[in-house]
Amino acid sequence: MKRISSVLKIVIFSIFIFLIMLPAWGCRGIFYIPGASYGYYVWEEDSRIFVEWSIDQKESKFDGSISTDGKITDHELTGWEEEIDVIKVEEDRIVFSATLNDNDYSDGFNFDVEGHTYLEFDLKINDGYDLNRVNVGEFLENPESNVFKIEKDYFSQLGMKHWYQRHPFSEFFYKLSSNKYFTFLYLFILGIIIIEILRVTVLAGKRRKIIWLAASYLALILIEICVYFILRFLVK
Amino acid sequence: MAAKTFFNKIGSLIFTREIFQDKKSLKTLYRYFLTGILIRLVFLPFFFQRDLLSTYQRAAETISTGNLGYDNLQFISNMIHSVYLFIMRSIFPAINELFSTLLVKDTWISWLSFNSAYNVFTTLTLFKLLYLIFDIVCMFLILRLSFDNKPEKKLQVFKFWIFNPIIIFVLYIFARHDIIAVFVTLIALLLAKKDRKYWAIIILGLAVALRFFPILILPVLVLYLVRSKKDYIILSLAGVSGIAALEILFRFCFGTGVIFPLLNAQHFEYLLTPRLDLVAGSHGSIFIFIAVYIVIILSFLHIKKKSFDILLNYCAIIYLAYLGICFFHPQYMIWVVPFLIIIFVRRKSLLYYHWVQFALLMVLLIYWGDLVTKYVFAPIDHKYFVYLTGIIPIIERFYDSAAFVNIFRSIFTGISLWMIYLIYKDTKILQMNELEIKEIEKS
Repeated sequence: MKRISSVLKIVIFSIFIFLIMLPAWGCRGIFYIPGASYGYYVWEEDSRIFVEWSIDQKESKFDGSISTDGKITDHELTGWEEEIDVIKVEEDRIVFSATLNDNDYSDGFNFDVEGHTYLEFDLKINDGYDLNRVNVGEFLENPESNVFKIEKDYFSQLGMKHWYQRHPFSEFFYKLSSNKYFTFLYLFILGIIIIEILRVTVLAGKRRKIIWLAASYLALILIEICVYFILRFLVK
Repeated sequence: MAAKTFFNKIGSLIFTREIFQDKKSLKTLYRYFLTGILIRLVFLPFFFQRDLLSTYQRAAETISTGNLGYDNLQFISNMIHSVYLFIMRSIFPAINELFSTLLVKDTWISWLSFNSAYNVFTTLTLFKLLYLIFDIVCMFLILRLSFDNKPEKKLQVFKFWIFNPIIIFVLYIFARHDIIAVFVTLIALLLAKKDRKYWAIIILGLAVALRFFPILILPVLVLYLVRSKKDYIILSLAGVSGIAALEILFRFCFGTGVIFPLLNAQHFEYLLTPRLDLVAGSHGSIFIFIAVYIVIILSFLHIKKKSFDILLNYCAIIYLAYLGICFFHPQYMIWVVPFLIIIFVRRKSLLYYHWVQFALLMVLLIYWGDLVTKYVFAPIDHKYFVYLTGIIPIIERFYDSAAFVNIFRSIFTGISLWMIYLIYKDTKILQMNELEIKEIEKS
């Protein structure tokens, strides 16, 4: 019974850690759930550019255009309804308009582009802009302007971003680092409590208890110093 | 020597005499305490539910306008928060910096600016510190409710409180203030245990004025405390004295009442919503909770020898009946905890059911949508969690989310009713023990 309980604890802990680290790893390609996720998803896979959109069952109109200084050589449609969805593909421009409803959760297209230096996106939802609903790349970055440009190697550069530079970690570390007094005091209190727990449990039977305690507090101070430098490094 | 005696007295006062005199028990209690505090501190700065901000917004409004009657339904708890916020504001610059955000009337704008503030973690820690103080006081008060001269069992009670998932969730993740009224209710129960009947009822009346829920245990407390026929009238009047005093105060000072707005508030409405229509389309209905409640009260009334433990069992039954039958908000679950943890010591199986209740509560959160699920994590990175795909659209993609939650809600009700049955069985054993003791005393 005790063994089952320990195994169960390890399993729960592993799931917990996995869930925490999931956004940090990112996954190749992009992850969204048609019918649950809402917005645009733009990514690159095998040198092809993918533009897809999805709704969370609220009827919405998605329209916009993608233009480039290169040449669009090939395109493919995904989940397209010819009767209501319109797409016009020119040599350097794609214009589209599509409506999603509770029978049609996602649409999209993908294309090859040659000799380009940039791609310019103008993506609207229900005739307006909602930048937080436009997710670019596998780490779901949001653009900063309504009509936004991405360079040719944008996606490969995006892939090189470290986990701590991505949401939600970037914001979390920013808040911890910009509130240093709180962070250090908080960690120090947590540390003191952990040392106290160790003192009354693990260290209770030890002979040179005072040395162990001094070492623990020294370790705590070192951790605090490390945290200072780590936060400085994480939030540049 | 005098100092030693003084510290011994203080120690006995905090930890109870039985635990303080037993070195091993005291050490174990200290270990539990440290671990419990560590868990609480881990959650303290990072999570909250929107209602915490509303509570402090009302307090900020009270401070800023000087209008003490700003929140007539939660007058006393608003006063406590206002005084606390006033003190914190003058000590900590972090609170002062966010004070203007608290005064923003638009709930969405204030919520967004609060979450995006660089010092949101400090502010949340200070906001929830008040609940941590009450929580710590409650964990030591609860030691005194039962198991006199049994330090091991008292320790178990302490353990069940300090590691209780509902307590940790409601106070440190959800961040609701029910613990203040729980504290006052525990004092009332302790006074009842010491047979200070009038004080017990008056303090419970204060708890009722703080939060609606203690009124549910008022009848059983009156029945437990009455020694003569006139006590029924005096104690019942004393029980509603808190709320009556508030009504009079508000009528005189602010020209508005408290009782009728309270009766029209959702708390009371939830008691009446589960109903059985006697004829379709007619006005004839039975309010299920009230009918069940009357059965519980009558059952308690007919117990000949009412011990304090039996009273606590009935309090647990009443709150479990409420949770099982009526619609409730997650924080209301905290009301059953002080009573259940004492019963856990006698019936361990109830502890497992309680953990299942907690797991089911996590599913029931879907009832309230994003506000109580992903938005709870918003202080970490509000932009990320606001736009993260929520659990509801994912469920809705495959199945009706309301039906999904209601399946789990039904399981929750089933478990709560089964727990009531187990507590009832425990009460029968307690009754038999009481009768045996009486017999021994006679002989």
